[in-house]
Amino acid sequence: MIDRSALDRETIRYALAGAAGGLVVLVAIGGLIFPGSIAGIVLNRAVSQSTVSSALRLSVPIVFAALGGIFAEKSGVINIGLEGLLIIAAFVGVLATDMLGAGQALVSVVVPGLGTVPIGNIWLGFAAGILSSTLLALLFAVVCIEFKADQIIAGLAVWLIALGLAPFGAKVVYNRPNTPSVGTFDNWTVPLLSEIPYFGDVLFNASPTVFMMLFAVPISWYALFRTPFGRWVRASGENPKALDTAGVSVRRVRYSAVLLSGVLSGIGGAGLTLGTGTGNFVGGGTVNGRGFIAIVAYLFGNYNPFGAFGASMLFSTLDALQLRLHGLGVPSSLIQTIPYVTVIIVLALVGRTQIPEAAGEYYESGEE
Amino acid sequence: MNGDSWRDVLRRFAGTSAAERLFISVAALALSIVVGAGVILAAGWMATCGAPATIDIPLFGATLSITLQAFGEPICYDPVNVYVTLFTGAFGDILSNPTNFSFSLTLKETTLLVFTGLSVAIAFRGGMFNIGTQGQLVLGALASALATVTVAPILPAGLVGSIVVIPFALLVGAIVGGLYGALPGALKAYADANEVITTIMLNFIATQVAFYLTKYHFQNPGSQVVQTRSVPGFAQLQPILFGEGSGFSLLALVLGLALAGGAWLLLERTSLGYDLRTSGLQPEAAEYGGVDADQTMVTSMALSGALAGIGGAVWVLMAIGSYQVGVPSYGFDGITVSILAGNNPLGVPIAALLFGVLKSGSLAVQFAGGVPQELSGVLRGLIILFVAMPEFFRMLGERLPSAESEQSAPVATDGGEGGDEE
Repeated sequence: MIDRSALDRETIRYALAGAAGGLVVLVAIGGLIFPGSIAGIVLNRAVSQSTVSSALRLSVPIVFAALGGIFAEKSGVINIGLEGLLIIAAFVGVLATDMLGAGQALVSVVVPGLGTVPIGNIWLGFAAGILSSTLLALLFAVVCIEFKADQIIAGLAVWLIALGLAPFGAKVVYNRPNTPSVGTFDNWTVPLLSEIPYFGDVLFNASPTVFMMLFAVPISWYALFRTPFGRWVRASGENPKALDTAGVSVRRVRYSAVLLSGVLSGIGGAGLTLGTGTGNFVGGGTVNGRGFIAIVAYLFGNYNPFGAFGASMLFSTLDALQLRLHGLGVPSSLIQTIPYVTVIIVLALVGRTQIPEAAGEYYESGEE
Repeated sequence: MNGDSWRDVLRRFAGTSAAERLFISVAALALSIVVGAGVILAAGWMATCGAPATIDIPLFGATLSITLQAFGEPICYDPVNVYVTLFTGAFGDILSNPTNFSFSLTLKETTLLVFTGLSVAIAFRGGMFNIGTQGQLVLGALASALATVTVAPILPAGLVGSIVVIPFALLVGAIVGGLYGALPGALKAYADANEVITTIMLNFIATQVAFYLTKYHFQNPGSQVVQTRSVPGFAQLQPILFGEGSGFSLLALVLGLALAGGAWLLLERTSLGYDLRTSGLQPEAAEYGGVDADQTMVTSMALSGALAGIGGAVWVLMAIGSYQVGVPSYGFDGITVSILAGNNPLGVPIAALLFGVLKSGSLAVQFAGGVPQELSGVLRGLIILFVAMPEFFRMLGERLPSAESEQSAPVATDGGEGGDEE
């Protein structure tokens, strides 16, 4: 059966993507012909290496949260608490790094051929951040799967708990709602490839979290669409009964998917403060809605990891541009609304996507 | 009370829906307090202090002292003491001085939360999640402050001026908040945009726009803080009975209670209310019965936003005296208040009082040199988490052995999220 309205939405989605592309081309042409005009200045700043690499950096938390959101929602659990997962990981990552002492290395591993390799404490802090977000996701999973909680309200709770817990923790330890700055990851530079003009510096001389993101997107796509696990996840969201009949535990699949969303969001959140940020956590300001933007990104990307990556890049490019447009005389507080306004426009035009059939619903196995 | 009759009470509670919600709210609150105690212990372990806290338990005339310590590290906060301080701090010496400063602070928080709680509740009952109460309150507050500052100079000071300008300021807040609330309602009705996300985005936008307007166009030149000029004294809500400077006005509380009663009447006794409730519970049935679903969405969100806007106006006229950036999170706390009240307008004032106690009490706790006031934010999240899982409490109830097995209908924690899944 063909859903008419879904078809229309698909058309709108393509039209929107086309329009966005067209606008970029228009600005580009205008900018090339009149380099001195606003279009010229915008073009100049938009294609600068620093804008593109900062867009990649800014998209890290959004992309990871979006990937996590895709797995959870595809399995039938709408995880609206992604923002909370980012917050807790961003905070715990810095806290743990600071407590361990950012400069030292507490743990080292012996790698054959390389000898003893120290693991910097920033990496341990990073792991602690991921762990904290995974634990919070576990709590969410138990509440939703075991106790049949309303997923939206439980997701809100995850957000609000993290929103309260992070500044509370900072106050307890540092006596103020912010943390001090710890070190961040050094850039990884790929020899030879980083020598390529323009792209080399953008793609092959970047934070480790950017590399992780560039790997995570295709891997997620492969896992979701080409592996048995991905098939189960999708079945669990579309037709849990069939999956149950086939002898696969819906509960287990949903637990794994929600925990995976915790791990991925954890990488995004800890990466936000330790990988690409300034190495500190600022009360309410660090995450600032990125988790919700991630939800819109995967809705716009129609639950496809590549689509979500594209949408995240759209938002983060806008974000990177707004940082660079301050010189044009528009107050920064207004420019900062651009990504949020874009989210609303995208959501209004795309509307509800084809959400998995059983998303938001509790599934009870027939055996019980 | 013996075990059997306690079970009967539990069973009777589980029987009716409204009573069950009450039970769930109370149980969720109790569980949050227990888990909160764990958070306080953990925080006390992380914090640094000279000597560990002790719990003193009076026992047959003697005192049993428990020194709190874990893994060789002292635990700095004693959860029992924290909760006692929280409670006593919220009420002050209420018996000898019912209008004391601490209690007026509690009532100030309560009053503001009544408006935001009602705002969330109205939307909920109409089947809409309004997470945007905060943004609607911010813009309502700003508009109300600006309108008052503009209009006040042409009015006579004194009672006549008050009678004209205060309703006017509340109306402006209601209109601006209502329009900002109607926006996500319309986006949902006509463009299918999920209101949970749009309202959250609109919060960010409201904060930034209000900051921009205040800083670049309406900044009070004599102030270091980003804020508008102050509204004149006659435009402020006077603290009747309570002390000056407490930021609480009995008038505002009465207005809040009246609106709670009004909201209840609207929902239960009018045809618009009937439409709202049926759309919230069963959108298909409502539509079949001739209810215009799209219009109902916009109406419930506009009403919700208007209540938030009035809350903003009250914040300006009662608590601050001008619009100031950095508005406290009354909107988010309103979500907790409404969910705790089972989205029933008559329950909102009670839940708001509970939360008023929590917020003003946590200030007292921080002042007493203990746990940071952000504790109330943690408890807010925990409460919502536990209210979201009625099944947990039902399972707990079912663990108790019973003579007859009873099948109770599943409770919806909301007023009808069901329409969202189709």
